[in-house]
Amino acid sequence: MVLIGTLFFGNELKNLEIDADIVRSLPDDDVDARLLKKIGKNFGSNNMGVIILETDNIYQPSVIEHIQLITDTLSEISGVSSVSSLTNIINIKGSDYGIEIGKLVDEYELPKTALEFEKLRNNILNNPMYKGSIVSEDETASLIVFNIENDANVNLIAKEVIEKTTALQIPEKLYYIGSPMLVTYISDLMRKDLTTLLPIAFLVIAIILLLSFRSISGVILPLFIAVVSIVWSLGSMAFLGIKMSMISNNIPIIILAIGSAYTIHVINRVNKVRLEEQHSDTIKTAFVYVFIPIMLAALTTIIGFISFIFGSYLDMIVDFGIFTALGTLFACLLSMFFIPAILSVLNFKNNSSKAPKDDSFITNYLLQPLYQLIANKPKTVLLIWLLLIGFSVANLFSIRRSVDIQEYFKRDNPTRLAEQIMVEKFGGTKPIFVHFKGNMQSPAVLKKMLETSAYMEKSPEVYTSMSIAKLIDEINYNFTNSRTFPQEIEQIEQLWFLLDGNEVLPRFVNEELTEGIIISKFKSPDNKSKIEFAKYMNRFIAKNSTEECQIQITGMPFVDITMDQSLINSQIGSIAIAIFFVIVLVGGILRSLKSGFFAAIPIIATIILLFGFMGLTGISLNIATVLVASVALGIGIDYAIHIISHFKASFKKNNDVYAAVQESILVSGKAIIINVVSVAAGFLVLVFSDMVPLQYFGLLIALSMVSSCLGALTLLPSLLILMNKKNNQHEN
Amino acid sequence: MKINPYLILLFFSTAIYGPIHGQNAQTLLEKMDILIAAPKDKEADVLMIIKDKNGTVKEREATLKQKGKYKKLYRYTKPEKQAGIATLSLPDNVIWLYMPAFGKAIRISLLSKSQAFNGTDFSQEDMSGIPYSERYEPSLISQQNDEYYQLELLPKSKKSKYTKINLTMDKNHYYPIKMEYYTKGDKLMKIAEFNYQKQGAYWFAKEIVMTTVLKEHATTIILSEVKFDQGLSDAIFTIENLKKEE
Repeated sequence: MVLIGTLFFGNELKNLEIDADIVRSLPDDDVDARLLKKIGKNFGSNNMGVIILETDNIYQPSVIEHIQLITDTLSEISGVSSVSSLTNIINIKGSDYGIEIGKLVDEYELPKTALEFEKLRNNILNNPMYKGSIVSEDETASLIVFNIENDANVNLIAKEVIEKTTALQIPEKLYYIGSPMLVTYISDLMRKDLTTLLPIAFLVIAIILLLSFRSISGVILPLFIAVVSIVWSLGSMAFLGIKMSMISNNIPIIILAIGSAYTIHVINRVNKVRLEEQHSDTIKTAFVYVFIPIMLAALTTIIGFISFIFGSYLDMIVDFGIFTALGTLFACLLSMFFIPAILSVLNFKNNSSKAPKDDSFITNYLLQPLYQLIANKPKTVLLIWLLLIGFSVANLFSIRRSVDIQEYFKRDNPTRLAEQIMVEKFGGTKPIFVHFKGNMQSPAVLKKMLETSAYMEKSPEVYTSMSIAKLIDEINYNFTNSRTFPQEIEQIEQLWFLLDGNEVLPRFVNEELTEGIIISKFKSPDNKSKIEFAKYMNRFIAKNSTEECQIQITGMPFVDITMDQSLINSQIGSIAIAIFFVIVLVGGILRSLKSGFFAAIPIIATIILLFGFMGLTGISLNIATVLVASVALGIGIDYAIHIISHFKASFKKNNDVYAAVQESILVSGKAIIINVVSVAAGFLVLVFSDMVPLQYFGLLIALSMVSSCLGALTLLPSLLILMNKKNNQHEN
Repeated sequence: MKINPYLILLFFSTAIYGPIHGQNAQTLLEKMDILIAAPKDKEADVLMIIKDKNGTVKEREATLKQKGKYKKLYRYTKPEKQAGIATLSLPDNVIWLYMPAFGKAIRISLLSKSQAFNGTDFSQEDMSGIPYSERYEPSLISQQNDEYYQLELLPKSKKSKYTKINLTMDKNHYYPIKMEYYTKGDKLMKIAEFNYQKQGAYWFAKEIVMTTVLKEHATTIILSEVKFDQGLSDAIFTIENLKKEE
């Protein structure tokens, strides 16, 4: 069955696609996100790529030639629907005798002399349409903007753009930005992470397992279960047509880390049973011991992941929760049913004489002294924990939140540099769209658009804006030599004659001329500025939107506000749900609500420590690190469950709290430590990821694992000793 | 001197019914220019059908008056919103645009020859009245076929968007059948297909389909109610007349 399942899902894996587009993951039930997606689809705003050419001075013959070279190169790429740059942009301007409709520069006679460049500079400066879109004010950067056809393969074209423009080997610096480039870039990073980090994590865990178990089966079996679980869960994703996102990219490493854990516990217990008791059926006996703790551990981990489904803003986080939970379920089932089957098939009994003695380093030099400490000074241990928790609570409120996609990249990353140039020289990259519904040729609607633009541009966060109204206004000015906007609809309809067929038109109005947008950019990544701007604009819209001219605003700053708020809601929601269900589940299965609460204590302490650490170090809460607490809760609770269930069984048998704690620490503690080291090491591999939040994600999970392990092995036993001391019949 | 009547008959029959073999490319192109510019003046109703990649079709209608090679007056009749708009093309790339809603004519200068005109697939270079033989250096690629010649036209000006045009010319009457426009990198950019018909003494393009290959965008121009040599006066092709709504 396992073989058939693996072959089936393995075959499905080839259909697994990567989708790094954050806009596509935005939920349809959010007004801002829905409108943003609609605008992206109807006005092609998601398909716009930008090349920034940076040099010391744009107005030089060689630079203009290179811009033309890039423009021509892009125009020749199949799937690129339009290219707009300094060397081909249409220029409509008034002259002594009428209107000149042409291009900003003559493509066949590029400017060469100082006088020609002066003329070009003046043309650009005097035309409001070019503000922030062609040449930067400091004249050191120029933009080449291209659009990719709707049905084209964005990733392939973006790659071709980079390849072909890099091959030109021009001396000026080129930077690539815009949604297609960003999405392609992130996809590449994801692929790179998957193909390099996963094998490293695999190797690291293998080495740790080898050192811990000193047997080949102790290495192969946990890794085998992890790999099968990864194949099954990713295969299920592919089977259901769900694409790999920048969050679900973590699934393999997470399943590798936690999927191997259940097998570690099974093997550890089998070894223990073989060592201590001469049962006729070692595997069956060990299975009875580990069934409940492993099932509980898996269920709580699954709860941790499932908790993302509730309150998550991004669909990609929901997908991540579902398929990591599924992978955990697969790993649990395979560990409990497939591993015993394999061990039986391998005729395990014959090897029993070779069973290792439990005199390992971990037991003798770590767990035994630890037990001594806890048994002798439980109050001191508790006090240290309380101090740590207190210190963390103090730092908890300094946690920074960030939804800025640029924080995904390292500081020296070209995309991040490109973003910086766009912010400094071209007024930002975060798109803002003001959507108008009404007759796009109506003077009233167009005038309202102009008013909205003027109002927007008063905000310090908005450098410039562009719309069909501005285009009409400019043509009208050139035609009539007056800034008075046309009063008659017929006049606008006729001015439209000069725009008909223009490639820019579909970016501003729909085909039926019933909808139009103002396109602008937002400068600051700061959330407060976004909130203030949203309020500022919403005041205007509430006052000016009418039945004939319905106004709505959206864009990444608006989505960011909701996403930012959802980070808190999602964090609180998922933790609360996870803790509640964990307590109920553990309490129910162990038939003691008290045990449920006890099991939750180390992990709650860990979560507080985790947030304290984030507040202290300035690691922000973002779409990746928001997952840490629940993942840590799901995995970390397992350690407490193992300890508490072991303690309960032992205490019931001997009614000796110290002996029960000692046995729990020495037996389950060993599996926990092996597990923590391997899981933490697996996650720490993410530190080498090219994506910054994933680095933090790996680091924070590893820290949480260590913390929850320490909680389960120190805080929990101390509490158990203190709480059960009076019931102890073997008190020394 | 007596001329053999059979020889005379033979001369006329070849002149009328068959091509003269071994003609050089320049002569052929000049003959095509003569055929295109043969009428003294022309009047027609013009239907423009613009079709994009998604199959969206837009139609425009206009009346055309043309005198000689360079004087053209288009007055748009459809769509309704743009009815009355008129363009007057005069020699030396002078174009006047009249918008009735403003009651004003203004001279526009289409500075870029490669620029598509008003959303069609025709650029200013395509619509130029300047004879092909003056703008291009022709060479004969093939005349093996009984029905047509294959010519390659290389632009004389460096300012041409095209690097070459492959022209398929009717062997009997010298009108263009097809033109393939190539751009940098020897890439096929556009294809024009002509449907020439004869009316009275003149051949004229009843229908032209211009397709921009890369964009899968096409413009079809269909002429109807065509009249030749109506004795159109020069006064028609003036700014004053442009403002008179018909």
